[in-house]
Amino acid sequence: MTSLPLISFDAVSVDFAGRTALRDVSIVLHQRRIGVIGSNGSGKSTFARMLNGLVSATSGTVRVHDLDAARQAKQLSRKVGFVFSNPDAQIVMPTVAEDVAFSLRGRGLSRTEVDDRVASTLQTYGMSDHADAPAHSLSGGQKQLLALCAILIGRPDLVVADEPTALLDAANTRRIGNHLLDDLEQQLVLVTHDLRLAARCDVVLRFDEGRLVESGDPTSVIERYEREHA
Amino acid sequence: MNNPLRFDVRDITRIAVFAAIIAVLGLPGAIPVFGGAVPITAQTLGVMLAGVVLGPWRGAAAVVIFEVLVLVGLPLLSGGHGGAGVFVGPTAGYLIGWIFGAFVIGAIVRADRRRPTWWRVALGCFVGGIGVVYAFGVPVQSLVTGLPLGPTALSSAVYLPGDVLKIVVATLIALTLWRAYPRAFGGAQVSTVSSTAGPVSAGSAGAGSSRAASTDAARPDAARQ
Amino acid sequence: MIAVYRPGSSLLHRMPAGLKVLGFMASALAITFTAGSVWTQPVAAVLVCAGYLVAGLGLREILRQVWAVRWVILIMLVTQFVFLPPVVASANTGRVVTIMVLAALITLTTRIPALLDATESSLAPLRRFGVNPAGVGLVLGMTITTIPVIAGFAATIREAQRARGVPVRITTFAVPLLVMSLKHSDDLADALTARGAG
Repeated sequence: MTSLPLISFDAVSVDFAGRTALRDVSIVLHQRRIGVIGSNGSGKSTFARMLNGLVSATSGTVRVHDLDAARQAKQLSRKVGFVFSNPDAQIVMPTVAEDVAFSLRGRGLSRTEVDDRVASTLQTYGMSDHADAPAHSLSGGQKQLLALCAILIGRPDLVVADEPTALLDAANTRRIGNHLLDDLEQQLVLVTHDLRLAARCDVVLRFDEGRLVESGDPTSVIERYEREHA
Repeated sequence: MNNPLRFDVRDITRIAVFAAIIAVLGLPGAIPVFGGAVPITAQTLGVMLAGVVLGPWRGAAAVVIFEVLVLVGLPLLSGGHGGAGVFVGPTAGYLIGWIFGAFVIGAIVRADRRRPTWWRVALGCFVGGIGVVYAFGVPVQSLVTGLPLGPTALSSAVYLPGDVLKIVVATLIALTLWRAYPRAFGGAQVSTVSSTAGPVSAGSAGAGSSRAASTDAARPDAARQ
Repeated sequence: MIAVYRPGSSLLHRMPAGLKVLGFMASALAITFTAGSVWTQPVAAVLVCAGYLVAGLGLREILRQVWAVRWVILIMLVTQFVFLPPVVASANTGRVVTIMVLAALITLTTRIPALLDATESSLAPLRRFGVNPAGVGLVLGMTITTIPVIAGFAATIREAQRARGVPVRITTFAVPLLVMSLKHSDDLADALTARGAG
C-alpha cells in the first residue's frame, strides 16, 4: 500500500452540553477509502466533523494529514472537503457556476483562472449544461453532484462525506457512490447507513454509543453489525 | 462585541435566512393571513419577528438585505412589487422605517438579555413596529405626495388596526417559539456561546471563527431537546 | 425567481448601472424641485417616453408600469382629492407616478447581478464603519439562494397541516416555519465553515 497521509485519533472524547458524543477514541488510519457505520446518535457524525475542525475535541488529540485539528483548524478546512446529507444546506450561491466558484474565494486566483477551473470541474461531472441554472432548480441527485463539484474544485487532500446518499434514490446513490469510491484520488471518509457502499471501502469503523467498537476488514465488520441488529 | 457590525458565520446565515423569510411572507399564497379576511400583508410581521428573534443589529441587517434585493429589482414586496420605483414612491419612508423599527424592537425585546416576556415583545413591536415605522413613513409620504402632514397621518391611520393585530400575532409567535425552540433566540448577541471565537466582519474569510458556536450547532437536536 | 429585467442591447442596457442610478436621481430631483412650473409635467412625460423608446421597450411597457402602481394612484387620488384642490391633487399624483415609472427603467434595463455588483461597490465608503462590501455581497447571494428553500418549507408546512386537518392559521404556521428556517441556518453555517468561508 502506498503511504497515504495519516489520520490519527489519540484518546479523543467530545462532550456536547452535558452529553458525551464521543468517548476515548484512538485509531490510526492510512487507507484510501474509510467507511464509517453505526446507528443514529452513535457518534459517527461527530467523528466525521472532527476531521475538518467543525467539532473540536474536549480531550485528546486529532491529527489529520500532519495538521493538528484543534490548533490548525483554518488550514484543515482548506485541505478537507466536506459533503453533507442535505444538499440544500450546502449550496450558498444562486447559480451552479457561482456556487462552485464560491469555494475558490479568497485564494487569490484571477477571474479567468476561476472560470476555467469551474468550467472543467463542471465538465468532469457532466454538469456543464447547468452552469447558469439556478441551483435550487436542480434535482436532488444533481444538487449533491453540485455539492461534490464545489468541494473537489478546491482540490482537497481528504474528502469527508456524512451520509451523502441519505436523501437520494437508488440510481443517484449508485452514481454518487461511484464518484466517491471509484473516481476519487484523495483519501475518503464515508459515513453511511448504506452497507453496500460501506462494503466497497478498504476499511470500516463501527461506532456505538460514542465508542469506536470495531475497525477492520469491511466484510467481517459489516457482518457482525448486521447480526447484532438482526 | 466592540463593533456590532462584525458578524460571525452563524450570524450571517441567520441574517440571510431571515431576509428570505421576510421575502417568503410576501409571496402570493405563501401564508394564510387570517383567512384572507383582513387585507394586510404578513411582511411587516416578518420585520417584527426579525427584531424579536435576531435582536437589534442582526434584525436590522436582515431587513436591509431584504430591501437591497427589492431595490435591485426582485419582486419580493407583497403583491410582487420591487425595483427602484418603490423607494421613490409614497411608501418609501415606511420601508426605511422597517430597518429602524426592527432595530428598536430588537433593542427593547433583548434589553435584559433573558427570555422574551409577552409585555416586552408587545411593547417592542408597538414602539418599533408602529411608532418608528410611522415616524419615518408619514413625513416621507407627505413629502413625496405633497399632501400636508396632518391629512397624511389621518389617511395612514386606516392601517393601524391591522398593525395592532400583527403585534398580537408577533407576540403569540414569539412566546410559542420560545417554548418550542429556545435556541432560536440564541446567538452571538444574547448568549456567550461564540464570544470566545474571534468575530469576523460580515462574511469575510477567517475559518474557525465560529468554531465554538458550530460545536454547539453540530447537533442542533441533541443539544437542548 | 421572476426578475423584471427585459433583455436588450440598447444604449440604456449597455450603460453602467451606477451611471443610470445617478442619471435617475438627477432627473427625479429636477422633476421634484420644478414641480411648480406648468412645463415640468409635459417635459417629464416626454423624458420618460424617450427613455422607454431608447431602451427598446415601447410605450406599452409604460402602460404596464403604470398599471403596476395602480393602487398607489388610487390611494393617492382618493386622499388628495379629499384634502387638496383637484389641480394640485392630480399634479402631485402625476409627479409621483412619473418618477416611479422612470425608476422602473433602471430595473428593466439592468441585470440583477450588475445591480448587485454596483451595490457592493457603492458600499466601499462604509468600510470605515466596519461594513465589509464583499461580505454584504455574499449575504445577498445567499439570501437569493435561500428564498426558494424557505418557500419550500412553507409549502411543506401548509400541506402537513391540511393533511392533519388542522386549520392553517398564522401562528400554527409561523412557528414551524421559523424553527425549520433557523435549523437550516445552522446547517448553512456548518457548510460555510466546512467550505473554508467562515
